[in-house]
This record gives sequence, structure tokens and C-alpha cells, in this order.
Amino acid sequence: MWGLASCILVLLVAIVCIRIYYILPGSKTTDRTRAINHDRKKIAIFLGSGGHTSEMLAMTSTLDFNKYSPRVYILSEGDTLSRRKAITLEATKAAKYGSVSKNTNAYTFLVIPRARKVHQSLLTTPYTALLSLMHCFYHVTIAPCFHGSPFADVLVLNGPGTCLVLCLAVYLNKFLGLSSPRTIYVESFARVQTLSLSGKLLRPLVDRYIVQWPELLRDGKRGECRGWLI
Amino acid sequence: MRAFITVGSTRFDELIQAIFSTSVLHSLSNKGYTELVVQCGYSSFPYDYLLAHGELSFKVQEEGVFIECWKFRPALETEYEQADLVISHAGSGTIVDVLRMNKPLIVVPNSTLLDDHQQELAAALEKLNHLRSSTISSLATTIQEFDPSSFTKFPPFAGDKFRDLVDEEMGFA
Repeated sequence: MWGLASCILVLLVAIVCIRIYYILPGSKTTDRTRAINHDRKKIAIFLGSGGHTSEMLAMTSTLDFNKYSPRVYILSEGDTLSRRKAITLEATKAAKYGSVSKNTNAYTFLVIPRARKVHQSLLTTPYTALLSLMHCFYHVTIAPCFHGSPFADVLVLNGPGTCLVLCLAVYLNKFLGLSSPRTIYVESFARVQTLSLSGKLLRPLVDRYIVQWPELLRDGKRGECRGWLI
Repeated sequence: MRAFITVGSTRFDELIQAIFSTSVLHSLSNKGYTELVVQCGYSSFPYDYLLAHGELSFKVQEEGVFIECWKFRPALETEYEQADLVISHAGSGTIVDVLRMNKPLIVVPNSTLLDDHQQELAAALEKLNHLRSSTISSLATTIQEFDPSSFTKFPPFAGDKFRDLVDEEMGFA
């Protein structure tokens, strides 16, 4: 009896490992799809508060909002400053390119509980991280099944903490073979010699891994540097 | 001339204390910076009691320097614009904003931070000759030896790089 159970367990673990190996980027050729020019792509933009938000919105401001529509801004709970900055960017863009403003549903906000607050005790972190993960699973995996539309075509991230949780939710989709967004991580301009913790953790997971200082790629592991993006 | 000092949105006690020290004020007035605007945030320093009861700012005059100190200055961009010199913590947001306005900048990395990446950024940008990186103890000397005309211009925002990257990934390229 125990022999059979352990056989099944080993088999399951093996299948899970093979599946994870298969969906990790770099383990196979990427299947980037070609878009037709009038295509619209749904973009999800993670705003990690403070400097992370500023850099992300500066980069987002360069996109053609007619191509990337609708836009979902993902915020941590209580981060009203990031919300205000995103609204300002949307208003600026709408004023500049009138056509964007016609579509009132052009952008939405998605609020996610923080995986870990600044200075939060390590003891309670597993609980808040789990709660955050559940939220991400719901929005990335479950809700799109009911609405019939995917969570996003592309997800851009630049740290900190909560964006790892979001990336894990994307991996559940990949694991289950559901539609999942392409993921792009951009390490902060402030990181010159050493990667941030989220940068280290997300490096093997995301489809595109971008740093802004070439020194960070000295170890020869995956990643690209195109100079300063801000 | 006018200098603007900021510690960002949190606090940096050592920097604000250094600014109010006799040696730094001397250096500043020697170099002609007789007007200071300070954004001290939540820093603790000898004058912080003047902001303890909800006051927005206070003014003092010391060592021949007129100092206007704010907890938070409402429009930072305007302050950068009006300043002839900016002295700041080495936060990347402040650095980029100030250098894009072509203002001479001295940064003091906050070495008390757990993850000391301010030091890395300050050193890298100093190497490229975009700013001067100093320390609390050498700030007075740095100001004394500072030559605002000696810097390399900071490159403008390269907006196309990120756009190309996402377009490429989404098949628009």
C-alpha cells in the first residue's frame, strides 16, 4: 500500500518538475507572436510604490496607448500616491492623443494586499504573503476563466516584493496551460553593481529580464542591457 | 546664490545635522550660497522642535546664511529650478530629476540604510562626472572644492528604448 502511494507521489513530483522545466523561459524557444498593426494588446503595469512607481510610469509614458489598451495598473493596498500618479499620466496622455480618451474603459486599477509591509515582522510575513498570493491567483487565474478574456497580454514589473507573488500567479496559468501574459522585468536604475532581491528572484522566471547597468550581467546569466531606460 | 537641500520623503538625520553645522554653513557662505532652502522630511536635528506642532516651515539666520527649512516643500521642481546648487541624499528619483534640469548636484549616500545601493549609484554617476558624491564628514570640504561648471551633461530621457522593447515582445516591431 505504502509502496504504491510513494510510487504515485514520485510520479506526480516528476510530472510537476517536467512541466515546470518546460514552462520556464530559456528551456525552449520562445513563441513570440507577431501582431498585426491594428491589434490592441492588454497591458498590466505593476506599480511598486515610491521610486519603483516613478520609474515604471516614466517608461509607460513612452508607449503608444492606442496599441496598449486597455491598461491595468496593479497597486498595493493603500498606495494612493501611485494611483494619483497613474491618473495624472493617463490624463496627460489623453490630452495629447484625443483618441485614447474616447474609450472610457481604457484603464483600470487592480489593488492587491502587500506581500510584506516595510518593517513587518518575519513571523507574520507568511500569512500576509499567502493572502497576497490568493488575491493574485484570483485575478490572474480564476477571474479570467469566468470573464472569458485573458488577464493581460503583457505584464511589466520592476519590483519590489509583491511583484514576485504576481509572477507566481502567472506561473500557475502557465502550469495549467491557461493563457498567460508575457512578463518583462526591468531592474531599477538605482541598481548598478548588485541586483535587488526581487531582481534576483525573478531573473529565472520572467520572459524578458532587463537591467540598466551592464555591470549587473557580469555573471553571464540571463538578462539584457540596453542602457538607461529612464 | 541659492542652494536647495533635500533628504527625500523620509529622513536623514546626519545630513540635516551636517547642513546646520558651522563648518558646512561656512563653506556655503564662502562660496556665495547665502540662501538655503531645506526640505528636512522627518529628520531629527537641533531645530526640529520648530516643526513639532504642525508648522510647515521656519526661518533662521546663521553664519551669514538665510535658512528656510520646510518639512516638505510643495513643488520640488520649482525648487530645483531656482537653485544654483542641490545637495541631496542619493535617491535615484531625486538624482535623475535634478540632473535633467542641469543643476549642479552633490549627493551624500545614506550609509545607514540596510541595503546600501545609494552608494553604488552615487559612485557610478560620479565616475561618469555627472555629480559629486560626498560623505557627512567631508561635506564641508566637498562644497569648498566644488566647481559647478566641470560636469558632463546628463543624457536626455531615451523614451524609445522601453517602447521598442515592449513592441518587440508584443510583435509590433
